[in-house]
Amino acid sequence: MPDVDVLVVGAGPAGAVAAWQAKQAAPELDVVLLERDRAVGAPVRCAEGVGDAGLREFANPDGADWASRRITRVIFQAPDDTEVLVAERGVGWILDRTRFDAYLAAEASTVGAAVLVGAEATGMSRNGNDRWHVRVKARGREDVYRARVVIGADGVETMVGRWAGLDTRVPSRDMESCAQYVLEGIEFDPDAIYLQFSEAIAPGGYAWIFPKAVGVANVGLGLVALKTDGRNARQYLDAWIARRFPTGARTGYTVGGVIVHTTIRKTYADGVLVAGDAAHMINPLSGGGITNAMKAGRLAGCTAAAAIREHDTSERRLSAYHRAWMDLLGEDHLKYYRIKQALEHMDDAFLNSLARTVNRIPPQKRSIGRIFAHALIKHPQLIPVAARFFV
Amino acid sequence: MRRVTPDTIAVVDLAVCDRCGLCLPLCPPEAIHLELNILTVDVATCTGCEKCIAPCPVGALTMTPLNPNSRLLAPAAHA
Repeated sequence: MPDVDVLVVGAGPAGAVAAWQAKQAAPELDVVLLERDRAVGAPVRCAEGVGDAGLREFANPDGADWASRRITRVIFQAPDDTEVLVAERGVGWILDRTRFDAYLAAEASTVGAAVLVGAEATGMSRNGNDRWHVRVKARGREDVYRARVVIGADGVETMVGRWAGLDTRVPSRDMESCAQYVLEGIEFDPDAIYLQFSEAIAPGGYAWIFPKAVGVANVGLGLVALKTDGRNARQYLDAWIARRFPTGARTGYTVGGVIVHTTIRKTYADGVLVAGDAAHMINPLSGGGITNAMKAGRLAGCTAAAAIREHDTSERRLSAYHRAWMDLLGEDHLKYYRIKQALEHMDDAFLNSLARTVNRIPPQKRSIGRIFAHALIKHPQLIPVAARFFV
Repeated sequence: MRRVTPDTIAVVDLAVCDRCGLCLPLCPPEAIHLELNILTVDVATCTGCEKCIAPCPVGALTMTPLNPNSRLLAPAAHA
């Protein structure tokens, strides 16, 4: 029965950073990072977009093989395809998640954490002592790991949280159903990401084009099933692509869920921390989760290491992680969630008219703040939305 | 809590399911499991609430009649 200090379940951005930071903070600890799939980073269930500043807290994208494309522009598209360009500097990157996740896991390995691929946690129990017993299936056999702290970074399924008695369920209205193709041989601005909002195209969410190279992009959409006409996400995507990119070659596809909720009420229990998608730590407006996951992973790894050094892995001690997360981003997500709810009432006619209003602002002056101010003057129905932003 | 046996329960078509795991946190009684790359719906736990059906991005989950006598799926389900 392997005995470890920190057992991290899931080697995505949250888990890899948690293992890396825990081992770096306390090199004397045994840290093990489990990945269920046979390769870290695959299969990709992600549009792979990430903001520049958040990324640089953990890794330098300049010249990195895991960075597919630098993005300098954001183009919003109204339901009628009217384009609104928002120019910013150093906007972000489109990653190659198969390489990026492997890079982060390698960082964890470099500082001395053990990385196990093809190793799936299938359950855990505590039996009254101070360690979790985690069942791990790998290569056809089952081992039981004894761990002082288990970090659940197991994504949308979030089984570790469930096993620890935390409520990780998601209301239907806060689950985005997503589908995406890799399309090749299509025409678009390869330095821009495109976001199209329309209740006919992606009700409750948006459709996106995220460039991987010139002529190659992740083209997908996310929607809220409660708002659809009965078709599933992939059927909505097929219809959108048939109109926008009828000749594009579909060289890959993925589907998955993005939880556009707020952080779960309790991200900790005795000897357990939950981080990243598993704790619903996704920006509910953008659906972006990569940097959130890495930041949460860093907090979880450091909290676990410090708690073990103090010989106190109780729920009370580990609650410091939850407070630190809420101060860092969790409270912001509550605000974003309120804005999301307010924006849900905009119909396609309104969005088309809003795009025309914004296009009257000179492109070089199009900051988000100015767009907001102009929009409020022309579209007073947005005022309640703006008010919620500051609540 | 006593569970009322539903008339229909969710059934997954594994030939269509992509194993994305989206349906797991949507299930109020936590009846859906994903282990060793196989998605299962626990017949004894599913309440037939249908919350998992529409959100599946590929339409792999459908409601199927449950035969109350045998607790097995009725043949009519596949008609």
